[in-house]
Amino acid sequence: MNYFVKRVGFMAITVFAVCALTFFLVNLIPGGTAELIIKHTIVGIEDSVTKEQLEQISSRYNLNDPLYLQFYTWVKKAILTGDIGTSYVFKKPVLYLLALRLPATIQLAGASMVLAAVAGISLGIYSALRENQLSDHILRVATLFGVSMPGFWVALILILIFSLKLKLVPVSGYGNLENLFLPAVALSLHSVAAVMRITRTCMLETMGQEYIMFAKSKGLPMWKIVSRHALKNAMLPIVTVIGFQMGSLLGGAVVIEKIFAWPGIGSLLVDSISARDLPMIQGCVLAIVTMFLVVNFIVDIIYTHLDPRIRYG
Amino acid sequence: MDNIFADKFRKEGLLLPEAYGSDFVKKVFQRKDMLFALVALLLFIGLALFAPLISPYNPNTIDLKNKNLSPSGEHLLGTDYLGRDLLSRILIGAQTSLSIAFGVVLISLLFGTVMGCAAGYYGGIVDETLSRVIDIFLSFPGVIFALTILGVLGSGVFNLILALSIVQWAHYARVMRGQVLSLKRQEFVLSAVTSGAGDFYIIRKHIVPNAIAPVLVLATIDLGHVILSIATLSFLGIGLPADIPEWGAMLSAGKEFMRTAPYQTIFPGLAITFFVVIFSILGDGIRDILDPNHEGGEIY
Amino acid sequence: MSLIEINDLSVEFHTGEDSVKAVSHASFDIKEGETFGLIGESGSGKSVIGLAILRLLPTNAEVSGNIFFQGQDIFSIKPSELRKIRGKHIALMPQNPAGSLNPVLKNGLQIKEVYEERGIDKKEGIKKALKLMEKLLLKDPEKLLDLYPHQLSGGMRQRLIACMSLSFEPELLIADEPTKGLDPEAKAGAVDLFTKIKKEYGKTMLLITHDLDLALEVCDRIAVMYAGEIVELDEASKVLSEPLHPYTRGLIRAHPRNGLVPLIGQSPSRIRLPEGCFFHERCKNSGFECSRQHPEMKTHNGGWIRCHFQSLQ
Repeated sequence: MNYFVKRVGFMAITVFAVCALTFFLVNLIPGGTAELIIKHTIVGIEDSVTKEQLEQISSRYNLNDPLYLQFYTWVKKAILTGDIGTSYVFKKPVLYLLALRLPATIQLAGASMVLAAVAGISLGIYSALRENQLSDHILRVATLFGVSMPGFWVALILILIFSLKLKLVPVSGYGNLENLFLPAVALSLHSVAAVMRITRTCMLETMGQEYIMFAKSKGLPMWKIVSRHALKNAMLPIVTVIGFQMGSLLGGAVVIEKIFAWPGIGSLLVDSISARDLPMIQGCVLAIVTMFLVVNFIVDIIYTHLDPRIRYG
Repeated sequence: MDNIFADKFRKEGLLLPEAYGSDFVKKVFQRKDMLFALVALLLFIGLALFAPLISPYNPNTIDLKNKNLSPSGEHLLGTDYLGRDLLSRILIGAQTSLSIAFGVVLISLLFGTVMGCAAGYYGGIVDETLSRVIDIFLSFPGVIFALTILGVLGSGVFNLILALSIVQWAHYARVMRGQVLSLKRQEFVLSAVTSGAGDFYIIRKHIVPNAIAPVLVLATIDLGHVILSIATLSFLGIGLPADIPEWGAMLSAGKEFMRTAPYQTIFPGLAITFFVVIFSILGDGIRDILDPNHEGGEIY
Repeated sequence: MSLIEINDLSVEFHTGEDSVKAVSHASFDIKEGETFGLIGESGSGKSVIGLAILRLLPTNAEVSGNIFFQGQDIFSIKPSELRKIRGKHIALMPQNPAGSLNPVLKNGLQIKEVYEERGIDKKEGIKKALKLMEKLLLKDPEKLLDLYPHQLSGGMRQRLIACMSLSFEPELLIADEPTKGLDPEAKAGAVDLFTKIKKEYGKTMLLITHDLDLALEVCDRIAVMYAGEIVELDEASKVLSEPLHPYTRGLIRAHPRNGLVPLIGQSPSRIRLPEGCFFHERCKNSGFECSRQHPEMKTHNGGWIRCHFQSLQ
């Protein structure tokens, strides 16, 4: 129990640090914030800003205060009212906009993670059981390319093949299962390869253990040895890697969402960066890091259930 | 031999222990995959270095009469939407990607190593603080972090290197810290400490040379990752200004013509994949040679 | 009548460019009801023979020769037939009980699965197992079923393994280094255990050990192995009281009770075995012939010995 308290504490500290880091980052350029507010609200984005406007806005939004004071105000507001800022572009609360986009990202990242786990683990087991045979070599080369190909390139090639040439699925869109197919495959490819690699390695190591030999000597069939004796032992590092993959999935989601016009937080982040919508950028980063931390927390809980020898005290 | 017998035989002296260090080069030459990757890498670094000399065309010459041409004898990989020769641009793009990637890895390696050394060597409150900082940096998905930094700072070679170094250094720091922690307990370090050698001397003479191997493995694999990140950021139009030839940007421009000229999408992607594959092979190979008992497999 | 016959068994492990000769031309048979001991120092190849009988060697092992169990050629039967033999007709008690129990599965499951595989009802299987556990001096057997292996002591783990191996009262029990790594108390317990197994089950046993006390206590006949070869084979009392082979003599002199005189030198490299007798470099009686010609097995006084020196007498 103690361990989990510590873990939650670390999560809170990390989220706070991420808030601080992004806050200082987006307000790094002196006068930048005021200028952007004016460009987004008063004049056009291409127009020039006068000195008076700058001073007026700066004093209205307390932008002349030292940064730490601004951050303090921001944190106070965030904790007391849940207000983490208002988007310059959409003129709506950041939290509201994030909530609108969150389901799409969870859907895409979740589907990719499931795909990575299922395909990665089963291919990894297959490869390990066929160690040094032809199919193992082919799969190993495939994983090498899987972890090396840029996700956005894979996405484009998939569109080229399945949408433009074969016309099997639409190029973009959101809402149907057929819309989810290409983005999820493109996004998960890297993770499938990574999970497969670690599964193969761990299965090979586990299959060489003495308890596997003893299980064989009991006369158990191969599938039982693999599923009951080997997989559960090999699972710990595999679960860790799947947890880490969440980071690469969320990072990859940014570009995949953009390509497939997927209405998630990733594409929102890219659009906000292009529009220099500072509060929105900060909100997106916060949301993504929080998702990443939560997934890794869940992975930790799964961990304790997998190995009876681990007892967090 | 990855089964219980290998260990058993080694322990009982039936198999000789794996050789380290001195015959590293020999081992590299024994591995066909590494040899292949090394030759390919050197070949392509050479091509990239001499790109201006060997490129059939000037990579930046706009020739609207010959835009979106398919691969042919004249333009081996075709031309892009401004009629620029794709082969020449991909060759010059290697220069961009490789030099930025080497820069990022060098900076993050140096900074990360220093931080990791400090955390591991001094321990106590220094370690506590640095470890927290490292953990926090590692809890960001890398691309997101770099994207945000670039979004605020604006695109450009310097900003790109800075952003990616800020993302990468913590990985080196973590590995280095672990190495130093285990080395600190070794006898030769302890004896150096008791004989009154200075901290800096001990770190330079005893710690760094013995701890650097896994850091170098990480650096090799990282080169591939950084090339991927550069391409991703440029693809999003956030990494580099449009006038610098870069694979990700080429892909981004090419995707508009995917229906009619798919090769504009295919070739730059192949170039990226090629380099990342090479660095993966080299990194994995170096790790296998330096640490034959490593469980291997995973990239991170 | 002999239950199992091993004819000219050789095992080589291929590791990269080298190959390790683990067993060379071993031949012996075990009669029904007999306890046959294979003794020798670690790495002499005795465990490899045990595993070869159950075809449990890793895939990089090259095996030649035959093993006949009840007239069946073990190396040529189908995997499904082999599975029927494993655990039921021939059971293995592996060395290192700590490593041979699956750390992430409860003890109960690991016992149950032996019965489960033979179509025996779960409840009945458990009942049988509990009875067996009580017989083998395990206290509170019910409680043990709900624990994980790491929660047991070394001696308890070994008894648990013995229970699993004896589930079906196998015709042949292969016990591999049962006393290796045990503390003196548990060691004494192990001697009790095997005496008990031998008395109550009267089953045929292949005991692989480097523990001369245990061998003397329970074995009827003994084969001494050195560098992958059998160098002496005779009745246990004869081998241990009047050893003929210089290596056996050395082994006995090295025993604590006999003054702990260590054998000088090391076993030869098994990648490049020496010419002549494998033991000649360490042998006090080594003569000219010993370094030139490899000795063959010869009968002597009802037993077998592989030594030139013997033939000179």
